[in-house]
Amino acid sequence: MKAYLPFIVTGIASGSIYGLAAVGLVLTYKTSGIFNFAHGTQAALGAYLMFEFRERMGLPWPVAAMAALLLAGIMAGLVLERAAHALASASVAARVAATVGLLVAIQGSLVAVFGAASITVKKFLPQNLYHLPGVTVTGEQIIVTAFVLVAVVSLYLFFTRTTLGLAMQAVVDDPALLGLAGTSPVTVRRFAWMVGSCFAALSGILLAPTITLDAGILTLLVFFAFGAAAIGSFSSLPLTYVGGLAMGLGSALLTSFLGQLRITGPATQLPVNIPFVVLFIALLVTPTRKLVERGGQVVRRPLAPVSFSRRTTGIGLGVGAAVALVLPHVAGPKLPLFITALAYVILFASLSLLVRMSGQVSLCHIAFAAVGAATSARLVAAGLPWPLALVGGGLVAVPMGALVAIPAIRLSGVYLAIATFGFGLVVQRIFYSSFLMFGGTFAIRAPRPHLDALHTSSDIGYYHVVLAVTVACCALVVVVRRSRIGRLLRGFADSPTALDAHGTNTNQLKVLVFCLSAFLAAIGGGLLGPVTGTASAGSGIAVGGFDFTVSLLLISVLFVAGRQPILSAFVGSLFLIVIPGYISGATAQKFTPVVFGALAVAAAMFGGRSLAGMVRSSARVRARETDTSRTQVRRRLLDATRPALEGGRS
Amino acid sequence: MSAAPAPTTNDAMAGPDLVVDALTVRFGGLVAGDNVSLRARAGMITGLIGPNGAGKTTTFNACTGLNSPSAGTVHLGDRRLDGHSTSWRARLGLGRTFQRMELFDTMTVRENVALGREALVAGRRRGLGRLFSTPAERAQGLERADEALEWCGLGHLADATVGDLSTGHGRLVELARAMASEFRFLLLDEPSSGLDVSETDHFAQILLDLVARQGIGILLVEHDMALVRAVCSSMYVLDFGRLIYEGTVADVLSSEIVKGAYLGSEAAEVA
Repeated sequence: MKAYLPFIVTGIASGSIYGLAAVGLVLTYKTSGIFNFAHGTQAALGAYLMFEFRERMGLPWPVAAMAALLLAGIMAGLVLERAAHALASASVAARVAATVGLLVAIQGSLVAVFGAASITVKKFLPQNLYHLPGVTVTGEQIIVTAFVLVAVVSLYLFFTRTTLGLAMQAVVDDPALLGLAGTSPVTVRRFAWMVGSCFAALSGILLAPTITLDAGILTLLVFFAFGAAAIGSFSSLPLTYVGGLAMGLGSALLTSFLGQLRITGPATQLPVNIPFVVLFIALLVTPTRKLVERGGQVVRRPLAPVSFSRRTTGIGLGVGAAVALVLPHVAGPKLPLFITALAYVILFASLSLLVRMSGQVSLCHIAFAAVGAATSARLVAAGLPWPLALVGGGLVAVPMGALVAIPAIRLSGVYLAIATFGFGLVVQRIFYSSFLMFGGTFAIRAPRPHLDALHTSSDIGYYHVVLAVTVACCALVVVVRRSRIGRLLRGFADSPTALDAHGTNTNQLKVLVFCLSAFLAAIGGGLLGPVTGTASAGSGIAVGGFDFTVSLLLISVLFVAGRQPILSAFVGSLFLIVIPGYISGATAQKFTPVVFGALAVAAAMFGGRSLAGMVRSSARVRARETDTSRTQVRRRLLDATRPALEGGRS
Repeated sequence: MSAAPAPTTNDAMAGPDLVVDALTVRFGGLVAGDNVSLRARAGMITGLIGPNGAGKTTTFNACTGLNSPSAGTVHLGDRRLDGHSTSWRARLGLGRTFQRMELFDTMTVRENVALGREALVAGRRRGLGRLFSTPAERAQGLERADEALEWCGLGHLADATVGDLSTGHGRLVELARAMASEFRFLLLDEPSSGLDVSETDHFAQILLDLVARQGIGILLVEHDMALVRAVCSSMYVLDFGRLIYEGTVADVLSSEIVKGAYLGSEAAEVA
C-alpha cells in the first residue's frame, strides 16, 4: 500500500484538474446544448497565454494568470455564447463540425504562433514539501486539490441554492419560459459559458507546469474531461468531478502497477488512454434514457443533398476526365501530391456517404484509413498480389466499422460523435504502434504494384492505378446513392423513426453504412502508403498522416466543400491536399488548418451551407438589405408626400 | 439481423383485428398505461380519446414497439406482436402515423410516399433485394405512390419538398405514405391537428373511403370530436393511463364519466 501512496497523491492532484475541466464542459453542454469539442484546446489556449504573459512578457504570475483567464476564459466565453446561440437550431452534424472546427482552428493557431515543440513551463505555485506519514506532498498539490474542490463545491451550491442557479437548470429545457419568469436566458447562458471557459483555461494553467506545454499533449490530457463527463452522464456536476478524480487516480495507479509488473508493449499506453476507454465503455453501458440529447429539439431543417442534371454531370465528367489524363504530364514533380489527393477523394467520398447521405457522424475516419494502410502493406509483404492486398486492407476495416456501428445503434447525434472520437483515439494510441499495425518504429514498407508492362511502380504509372481505384470507389458510391439502399439511407437521415415504422430495420442499415464507409476509407488509406513507399503513422504528405486530428480536418473540410457527395469529395481534396501543397512558405502552410477550422465554424453557423452556399446566401442577405432600404426610401417619400396629397383631396 | 422470419401478408384474408390485452406501461414510477385492454376491428374505425397525458400515444407506442410494456399482450389477428421490433411489426402489416409528424423532410411528396412503400418491400426481401430494386419494382412503387397521392388529393403537390408544406398537407402526406404501403391495420395519432375545418372534412372522407376500399381497421387517436363523430364506429376513453369508458360514439359523448374527465378542457366541444 505504501508504495502506491505517492501515486495516489499525484492521482488526486491531476484528477482534480481533470474534474475541473470536465465540470466546465458539462456546465456549458447542459445550458446550451452545444458539446464543446474545443474545450480542451481552450485549456491549452489558457496555458499558452499564461506562458506568454508570465515568461515572455515577464509579468508576475497572478497578473499573468488573471490576464490569461480574462482572455481564454471570460472573453472566449462571451464569444462562444454568441456562437452557441447561432448554432442552437442547427443540425447535430453542424454543431459537431462547428466545435470541431474551432478545435482545429485554435490548435492550428497555437502551433503556428508558439511552434509545435514542447515548452517547459516554470512552476508558479509553492513547491514546499510536506512530509505526511508514508508520503511527501507538495504545496502545489495541496493548493490545486483544495482550490478545485472549493470551485466545484461553490458551483454546485450556486446551482442548488440560488435563484439564478436554479434558473440555469431550466434554460435548456425551455428558454422562453425562463424569459417569461423574468430571468433573461441570455444572461444565464453567458454566465455558464464564462464559468465553463474559465474552468477550462484554469485547468490548462494548472496542468501546464506539471507536464510540458505542447498543444497536442495538453489538449489530449484535458480530454480526460470527456471521460469524466461520460461518468457523470454529461449531466451531473458532482459525478463528473468525482469521475475526474477517479480517472486521475486510476491512471496514476495503473502506471505504477504496470511499472511494478514490468509490462511492456502496447499495454504501457493504457494509463494515458484510460479516458478514451472509459468514455467508450460509458457510452456503451449508460442507459440511453440518461443520455438525453440536450437542446436537440429545435433542429433546423437539414438541407437536401444536391444532385446535378444529366447535362451538368456529363460536362463535369468530361472536364474531369480531361484534367485527370493531362495532369501527369503537367504536374511534374508535384505528381505525388495529386496521387495523395486522389486517395483523399476516396476518404472524403466514404465520409460523405456517412455524413451527407445517411446523417451519421464519424470522428474516427482516419483510423479506418490507417488500418487499411497498415494491413495492405503487410499483406503485400506476406506475398499477396497487390490488388488483393488493397481489397484485403479494406475488408479488415469492415469489422471495425461494425464495431463503431454498435455505439451508433444505441446513440445518436452528439453522443455518437463523442463515441467515434474516443474510438479513433483508442485505435491511434493503443494500436498504431503495435505489431498489428505500424509496429514500434511506426513505419513499414509499402511497395507499389509491379506490372512492368504498365510501369505501375513509376509515379505516372502509380498515378493511373490510384486514378482507376478512385473512379471505381466513386462509382460505387454513386451506385449506392442511386439504388434502393441510397434512398433508404436518405430517408434514414431524415427520419429513422418513419423508416422503422415502415418495416426497414434501421440498425441493419447503420451497420451496413458504417461497414461500407470503413471499407472505402481503408482502401483510400491503402493507396496512401505506396505514394512514399512506406506506410507509417505519418503517411500522406500534406497533413498529419493518420493522426486523429486529420479525422477532424476531414469533417471540417467536407462541411465547406458542398453537398453533392462526389463533387464535394474532389473539392475537399483540392482544399485539403492540393492547394496547401502549392502554397509556398512555411507560415502560410501552418495557417491552413486555422483557415479550414474557421471556415467550418462559419459554415456550421450559416446552417450547414457549403462555401458556395455561404457566398450565395450572403448575397441574398445583401439583396434583401438593399431591397429594404429601397422600400424604406419609398415609404419615406410616401410619408412626405401624403399630407400634400390628402390636403389636395380635402 | 431480425431474429424472427420475415412476416408475410395474406391478401386473401380480410384485414385483422388489433387486440390489446391488459397492457401496462411504466416509466420509472409513473404508470403511463394501466391494464389497458381494447379491440379494434377490421373494416371499421375505432376511436381512442382522452385528455392530454391520458396514455393514448403510450398505447400506440406499445403497439408498435417503441416502448416496452411491463405486462400485457398485443395481437394483430392471430399473430402476437409484443417482444418484436418496430420494423418487424410493420412488416407484419401494422402501420402508423405520428403526432409529431415523421416525414422525410428533404424529399418531395412523391419520394416520401414511394419510400414508405419501398422501406416495407425492402424489409420483406432477403439478400440483395434489400439493397437494390428491380426496375419493375421501382415503377410499381412510383405508380402506387401516385395512386395514393391522387386518392388524398395531393397530386398537384407531388413534386413539392415536404419540409416546405403546411401541417395540413404534411398530415395528408403521412397518411398517403401509409396507404401506399398497404398496411393491414393503421394507427393514426391525432391526424387532424393543424387541419382547418374543410381539410378535416376531406380527411374524414379519405379515412372512410380507405376502410371501405382496403378493408383494413384503423385505431384513431383524436381530439377533434367532429372528426371522431364522423368516422368512428366505437370508442375507447383513456384517463390517467386507465380505460374509463367504452361504447358507441353516441354513448361515449353522452357519458358523464367522459365529461368529467374532459371537464375544463374540452367539455364544451364534447357537449
